[in-house]
Amino acid sequence: MSLEEPEPSTQLDVGVTDDGLDYDQIEALIDDYVIGRESHVNAEGFVVRPDDVQAVLSTLKTEAGFDFCSCVTAQEYQDRYESIYHLKKYDDPTQEVSVVVPSPRDDPHNQSGADVYETADWHEREAYDLVGIEYDDHPDLRRILLPETWQGHPLSLDYNQDKPQIVPLREHANPLQDDKRSPSDPDTMFVNIGPHHPATHGVLHIKTALDGEQIADLEPDIGYLHRCEEQMCQQGTYRHQIMPYPDRWDYISAGLLNEWAYARAAEDLADIDVPDYAQVIRTMGAEMSRIAAHMLAVSTFALDINGDFTATFMYGIRDREVVQNLLEDLTGQRLMFNYFRLGGVAWDLPEPREEYFEKVRDFVDGLPEKLTEYHDLLTNNEILQMRTVDTGVLPPEDAKSYGATGPVARGSGIDYDLRRDDPYGYYDELDWDVVTEDGCDNFSRLLVRMREVEESAKIIEQCVDLLEDWPEDEREIQANVPRTLRPDPDREIYRAVEGAKGELGIYIRSDGTDKPARFKIRSPCFSNLHTLPTMSEGEYIPDMIASLGSLDIVLGEVDR
Amino acid sequence: MQSETPLPDTLANLLGLDPSNPLVLFVIAVVASGVIASGLLALVAVSGIWGKRKITAAFTDRIAVNRHGPAGILIIPADALRLLSKELIVPEGVDRPAWDLGPLIMVFSALAGFAVIPMGNGIQIADPETGLAYVFAMASVASLGLVMAGYSSNNKYSFLGGLRAVAQNLAYEIPLILTGMSVALFAGTLRLSEIVAAQSTALFSLGGLAIPSWYAFVNPFAFVLFMVANLAEVGRNPFDIPEAPTEIVAGWQTEYSSVYFVLAYLSEFIHIFLGGAIIATIFLGGPAGPVLPGIVWFLIKIVGIYLFTQWARSAIPRVRIDQLIEIGWKGLLVLAFANLLLTAGIVGVIA
Repeated sequence: MSLEEPEPSTQLDVGVTDDGLDYDQIEALIDDYVIGRESHVNAEGFVVRPDDVQAVLSTLKTEAGFDFCSCVTAQEYQDRYESIYHLKKYDDPTQEVSVVVPSPRDDPHNQSGADVYETADWHEREAYDLVGIEYDDHPDLRRILLPETWQGHPLSLDYNQDKPQIVPLREHANPLQDDKRSPSDPDTMFVNIGPHHPATHGVLHIKTALDGEQIADLEPDIGYLHRCEEQMCQQGTYRHQIMPYPDRWDYISAGLLNEWAYARAAEDLADIDVPDYAQVIRTMGAEMSRIAAHMLAVSTFALDINGDFTATFMYGIRDREVVQNLLEDLTGQRLMFNYFRLGGVAWDLPEPREEYFEKVRDFVDGLPEKLTEYHDLLTNNEILQMRTVDTGVLPPEDAKSYGATGPVARGSGIDYDLRRDDPYGYYDELDWDVVTEDGCDNFSRLLVRMREVEESAKIIEQCVDLLEDWPEDEREIQANVPRTLRPDPDREIYRAVEGAKGELGIYIRSDGTDKPARFKIRSPCFSNLHTLPTMSEGEYIPDMIASLGSLDIVLGEVDR
Repeated sequence: MQSETPLPDTLANLLGLDPSNPLVLFVIAVVASGVIASGLLALVAVSGIWGKRKITAAFTDRIAVNRHGPAGILIIPADALRLLSKELIVPEGVDRPAWDLGPLIMVFSALAGFAVIPMGNGIQIADPETGLAYVFAMASVASLGLVMAGYSSNNKYSFLGGLRAVAQNLAYEIPLILTGMSVALFAGTLRLSEIVAAQSTALFSLGGLAIPSWYAFVNPFAFVLFMVANLAEVGRNPFDIPEAPTEIVAGWQTEYSSVYFVLAYLSEFIHIFLGGAIIATIFLGGPAGPVLPGIVWFLIKIVGIYLFTQWARSAIPRVRIDQLIEIGWKGLLVLAFANLLLTAGIVGVIA
């Protein structure tokens, strides 16, 4: 290693100390722009003027190493609008900082961060759509979830919910006229892929311009499954009424992982300590959810590559059924678990315990054999390798800029897993590994999921060992939580967990009542889907379908 | 085993009519074709509606139809009725005569191919000198139907499917026919009955068991080539690209409903069986086999090849269109030429 070249990381650890970030040093970096400081539960927030957003974000990104814009939260106060950019580092997500941008109520606008972080593009479009903040210099400030003819911004304070809205069904463009999306090449053809298409995994609409079989231009159109989840959560009480909703975001059996996202945010907000025993049960259940979700991801990916009637899909569903039954025994539900409670879980393991442990062990012991079968059918198959290796390439820099997380990021060689990097539950006590692959292609993402199933099985096995030996009189499943939870007013928190698809984060602002004043969901699928155009432009249609399958999106979570 | 006289002549003789009278021959030929076509359609009904589900279910660890009759066999009439009673939706802007003719051409070309296939027990409608060329020609006419269907549907997915079908068939027809030609070189004739007859001699004896000189044994390389090219010809995995349900919805079939949908599917299955019949005839000794009558052996062979296509469909991923073209033009075509030259050399040396 030459001495002339200083390692980039040494430059980028401004303010990093052994006991967390020294925010004063970071503030010194952007001193010219900071007009105030806020203290959020998860990080300090620097208040900056609306015109300085780009300068602040790019300074923090290039000089302090905050390379991950996790989420953009927009909200309206009585006296102002506010956008919060939640920044993190891929190397260490516990190093967080918030950039708080207030803007006036009568004309809410601030500079866009999309120049600095690609992911801010979609996040700001959502903020504009739902809250109504305008972002200057934004590349394409249109509504993203609601129809383009929608009047008003539903999460703003003076929005009239009773106002009738007219959503016209526009005719398709004439296939032969006004059809050339790319003026440089008059031979392109516009095709709607979805919202009703066998391979879009839900109601996703992809506006595609084809040049022969190749993709000239592509734009995902989302929002068909928007169900106002954030608003519904804002209308529910912390204690019981919010927990059922997370099950409905990523509904591909990742329910417990989603519930944990809310549980973690709300527990940290209200300073609730969860008993260890409950944490172990949570960890076990969450990993079962992860296995079920990954099994479905792998088998539907096989469906996209092999075509229908493929054996791999049914094998995957068959084996997922086993873990689904285990989850049913644990939670009493198969789809909408609603098993976590703030401060613990709803009930203890099913009786007789030995029988349940035996079932779980049987499943875990049988997994290697099943996975070998999948590897035979999928990853060892030369045709599948021909199809997936070096297609849908997502370089790590792009993945970071688009805020990709979960198996998508790990398939691009980014070693980022909140279970290890920002530990919660019982993960840091257990022995398991974070899986990464350096291929950056569809094949790597498939491999990551398949190998993560093995890791999850390892975790489950250790949890079962722990639970089996847990002394009977210490089986505390629930902390002492007030019947009505009223966190102190004006506490703000952004907390994330590692969901099946990536970083599932939740921002909550309390106002002293028993309901959140703002509840924002950072969906991993939303950010992951944003990478699709990068991966697919110039590729063939079948590769685009394969890339979409390898992203493993759930539209319930994308649209919320 | 060998076709002594074509089926219409046999029938005419049975009825005491004079087969040299063209009118008599015409009427009898129509009757004979009707019988064979009905038999084929019955085979498709069993294997397409019921057999396919059971086979796929076995491969994918499911049960499939089991409520109607023993092992769900009565699903065949139920499904036939269901399919025929559906509304025929004619989308706006389709190119009418072409759109209607597409599925018809596909079905009838595949059926017409069977006219020259010797199925054993004297079941062969005609035995022209150019039998092999005729059957390949008929199998290829279906591509015309695919293009008509894809182009006239006024749907971009159908359009893409039609284009893919043309590209695919061009890439695979040629190796297929070249490989077929190597068999013609061995047999020294294009007449299918003579190709079958040439395979009846014993190749060698294995512990008292005479192995017949089926061309699959004589030239296994050509057999494998032909099987692969045939998968592409009938459009099954890994080459089901013209339909590719997860990519272009249903390809050229997207806009077909009701009876036209039935015709489209019918043509696919008949096409698979025609491919099987060609393979059975030129590589597997046609209707030859011990103990059982020829027609039974013939059916066993083509159903076996049908099973093979279903197996491929359940287990093998689909290649991409550009990869398929590459495999066809750069791989199979070269191998097919090599095989042809080799065969010509061997035949030249022996003869």
